[in-house]
Amino acid sequence: MIAVAALQILDGLGLVPIAFVNWRPTLYAFLLWSVALGVGQVLQYGEVGKQRLFVLPALLFTAAMVIFPTLFGLNIAFTDWNLNAQSGHHFNGLDNLRTLWGDAYFWNALGNMAFYVATVLVQYAIAFGLAMLLNADIRGRKFFRVAFLLPFMLSPVAVSWMIGKSLMENRFGPLANFARWLGWENPAFFTDPWIARTTIIAMDAWVWIPFMVILLLAGLQALPTDIKEAAKVDGASSWQAFWEITFPLMLPVSLTAIVLRTIFELKLADIVINVTAGGPGGATDTVSSFVFREYRDRSNVGYATMVAEVYLIIIVVFITLLLRATSRYMQKMT
Amino acid sequence: MRVHVYEQLMATQASRRRVMKGTASAVAGLVAGVPATLSPSPSFAADSVVAQIMKIPGAGNGSPTDADWQKVGELCLGPTKKYVQPGEFKGINFSFMGLNNQNLHNFLFRGFLKPWEAYTGTLIKWIDLAQADYNARLQQSIATGTADFDIIEMGAPFEGDMGVKNLLSEMPDWVKKQVDFDDIVDYLKPPVGTWNGKIHRVTIDSDCHTMNRRTDVFTDPGLAKQWADWKDKAGLGTWGPPKTWQQVQQITKFLKGKKVKGKEVYGFLDQPKPWGGFQFYFTASRASSYAKYPGEKNWMFDENMKPLVNNPAWVRAIQDVIDALPYEPADQINADPGTTAFQQFLPGTGSLLEWWGDIGTMAKTSDTATIGDVLDFDILPASDDVYNFRKEKWETLPNGPNVAPNMAYLGWGIYVMKTVDSDPKRHKAAWSAAAHLGGKDLSMWTAAYPSGFQPYRKSHTNLDLWALAGYDKKYIGSYMDSQSTSYNHPNSAIEPRIPGIFQYYSIAEDELQKTFAGKQSAQQGADNVAAAWEKLTNKLGRENQIKYYRIAMGLA
Repeated sequence: MIAVAALQILDGLGLVPIAFVNWRPTLYAFLLWSVALGVGQVLQYGEVGKQRLFVLPALLFTAAMVIFPTLFGLNIAFTDWNLNAQSGHHFNGLDNLRTLWGDAYFWNALGNMAFYVATVLVQYAIAFGLAMLLNADIRGRKFFRVAFLLPFMLSPVAVSWMIGKSLMENRFGPLANFARWLGWENPAFFTDPWIARTTIIAMDAWVWIPFMVILLLAGLQALPTDIKEAAKVDGASSWQAFWEITFPLMLPVSLTAIVLRTIFELKLADIVINVTAGGPGGATDTVSSFVFREYRDRSNVGYATMVAEVYLIIIVVFITLLLRATSRYMQKMT
Repeated sequence: MRVHVYEQLMATQASRRRVMKGTASAVAGLVAGVPATLSPSPSFAADSVVAQIMKIPGAGNGSPTDADWQKVGELCLGPTKKYVQPGEFKGINFSFMGLNNQNLHNFLFRGFLKPWEAYTGTLIKWIDLAQADYNARLQQSIATGTADFDIIEMGAPFEGDMGVKNLLSEMPDWVKKQVDFDDIVDYLKPPVGTWNGKIHRVTIDSDCHTMNRRTDVFTDPGLAKQWADWKDKAGLGTWGPPKTWQQVQQITKFLKGKKVKGKEVYGFLDQPKPWGGFQFYFTASRASSYAKYPGEKNWMFDENMKPLVNNPAWVRAIQDVIDALPYEPADQINADPGTTAFQQFLPGTGSLLEWWGDIGTMAKTSDTATIGDVLDFDILPASDDVYNFRKEKWETLPNGPNVAPNMAYLGWGIYVMKTVDSDPKRHKAAWSAAAHLGGKDLSMWTAAYPSGFQPYRKSHTNLDLWALAGYDKKYIGSYMDSQSTSYNHPNSAIEPRIPGIFQYYSIAEDELQKTFAGKQSAQQGADNVAAAWEKLTNKLGRENQIKYYRIAMGLA
C-alpha cells in the first residue's frame, strides 16, 4: 500500500514516471491492507487482537478521511496544479504564498470577514434578548420557541432565494415595497457596498441567531433561581438583577455561544455565492466564496488549496487567541 | 437521478400551462412580414415524419411530456434503422453525461433514446448535472483521468480541453450521412466541432446572442413624441428599435422614468453579475461590433494570444455598461444573465435584451412570460465605427456601421469518448445514439419545443414547420431571421475554443464586476483582465495555448 502511494506521489511530483492513472488503486490497496491488518491482529494476538478491532476501524477511517486529506491538501497547496494545464502539476515552492500575499481579492475578502465576525457581538445581544424573552413567563411561549427556531432549520441556499432574491427583489419584493412605503425611493439592497454587506449579514444572522438562542436559553434555564429571588428581596431593580447577576452567571455559556458562532461565521459562503456572487465589486465577498470561485470556476486547484490552508491557519490562530482572551476575561470576572 | 423522482417530474409536466397560445390553423396564410431569407413554402410531405412530430403534442395540447418525447423518438428512428439491425447492440451498456437544466436536456434525451434502446438492445446509464456543476465535474474528470461516461453532452468551448488530451472518438462517415451533416449552418461546421482536423461532434444546438425587443415600447406614440425632442438621438431620427449600440445607449437613457400604458419601462438590461464565466459572453456581445474588424478572426486575443480585451474597443464596451447602469432598474448591478432573462425581461421589465435564442421560444411557452405578443427580434446592434487593432485606430467603414454578432458558446453537441473505440460494437452503439439525437427531423422538434436548444440547421428556416407547432409566422419569422442572419453573417465573432477558456472568462468576470461597481475605471479593469489573462496563459503553457488558439480559430 505504501509502495503504491509512494509511486503515485513521486509520479505526481514528476520524479518517477510510473503510477496508476488515478488514485483508485491506492484506495483499494488501503482497504485491502486495512482488512488484512484487522485479520492479522486477531490471528497474531487472539483476544487482545479482537479488542483492538474495536478501535482499529476508527483509527484507519480517521487516517483515510482526516490525516491523508490534510497531508494531501498540504502537498497540493505547494503545487501549480491547474486542471487545464497540459503539463500536469509541479511543486512550485512558495509561489502560491507570494501570489496570495499580493492578491487583492483575498485581502478584500479577509477585510469583509473582519466586519462579518465583528457583527457576532450584535447577533449575540439580539440572541440574548430573545432568549430572555423566551425564558420569561409570557403567553404563547411554546409557540414562540418553535417559531424562533424555524430559520435555523432552513438551508442557507433556500434563505438566499426566499429573502435575498424574492423578499428583497427590487420591483415586487415585499421588503422593497415596504422600504418604498417608508420613503426609500429606489430600494436596492445589494448595490451600495455597506448596505449590501449589512443585508448579507442580516440574512445570515437570521438563520444563525436561533442557534445562539438555544444555547443561551439552555443557560438561562439552568441558572439557580434563589440568587435572583434574593436580589429581588434585597430591592435590586430588573436592570441590576440582569447586569449584576444574570449576565455574569451566563458568561461561560455566552462565550461558548460567541466562539461557536464566530467559527460558523468564518465559514460564510453559501448566501454570498447565491445572492451577490461577492459583489458589488467584491463588497460582500468572503474567503470561502473566493476559494470556491478559484477552485470551481477556474480549476485553480493548487492556489485555491493554498488559500484554504492559509485561511485555516488564520482561523485556528484567531480562535486560539479568542479562547485565551475569553478565558482571561472569565478569570478576571470570577 | 432516482427513477421514481424522474417519473414524478415527467408526470408533473402534463399539467403545465399550454405550450403554444395560438393555433396552427389561425396562422395559416399569415405570411406577411416574413423575411425573404426564410423559406415560406413547404418542402415536406404532409405525412412525412417531420410533419407528424411537429404536431406532438401540438398547439394547445399542453407542454410536451415524457410520453411525447418517446413518441417523437420512436417516429424518428428511421435513419437509425438504416444503419443498425434490431437488437444489434444487445448486451451493450454505456453511460451518458448531460445537463438537467429546467427539466430539459437529459430529460428529453431519455425519452428520445428509450425507443432507440428498445430497438438496438442497448442500456444507458444516465449522469445528470446542473449547469453550475458541469465545468467543475468535466475538468476534474479530464484532469484526474476519471471520465466515467462514454457519451457526453458538451459545449464547443470545451473541445480544447478534451481535444488536447485526445479523449474524443472521431465521427465515422456513416454518422455524417445519418445526421445530414451538410444541413448544419455553416458557422458550426469545421473548425467548430473538430480538433486537429478530426470531427468529433454531433451538433444538436446552435448559439448566438441576438437582440430581443419590445414592440409595444418601440411603437408607442407617446414615446415617439418625446423622442422627437430628445437631444442626442445617435442617428435614430424616428422613434423605433435601435440599430447601433450608440442608439441603445441613448434609448436606455431616454426611457429612464418613462411609462407605457401606466407601467414604468426601461431600455437595455445589462448583466453585470458574474455567472460562472457565462456573464463574460454578455460583455463580449456588447464589444463584438466595436472589436471585431471585418476580415479579421481575432478579437479577444491576437494570433500570439496577446489579449485584446484592453484595447479601446473593449474599453468602450465596458464603459457603455458603466454609463448605462444608472438608467437601468435599481440593483441592476446584481443582475446576472439568468435574472435579466427570466426575472426581468420575460415577466415584462426592460425593452431590450441581448440573450440566446431561448427567449424567443420561452416567451411563448413560459408560465411567467408576459411579453409573447409584444416581442420581436434582431441581430445584435452594429457600431458606427470599428476598432482596427492592427492599425490601432477607429475606422468608419464605407458600407456603413459594423455588424459582428457574437456566436456565444457555439451550441451544445453530443460527443463520444475515445474509450469506446477499442470495441467496434460499442463504438457503433455510442455513435448511433449520438446520431439519433442529432437527427434532422428530431432537430426540428427540439428547435420548436422547449428543449434548451436553438435552431441549428438550414432546414429550420422553413416557417411552415414552425406553424405546425402553433407559432405565428410573423413572430417566428422575425425570430428565425435574427438567428439566420447571425449564423450566416460574414463578420460573426467566434470565441477561441482553447483549453481553460472558462478560466479566462471567470477571471474577467471578477475584474469586470469591480469595474461595473465603480471601484476602478473601465481602462483599469480591462488592463487587469489582460494582465490576468497573460498570467493564466503562462500558467497553462504559453506555447501550447498559442498553438491551440490557432487551431481553434482556424488560423493554423
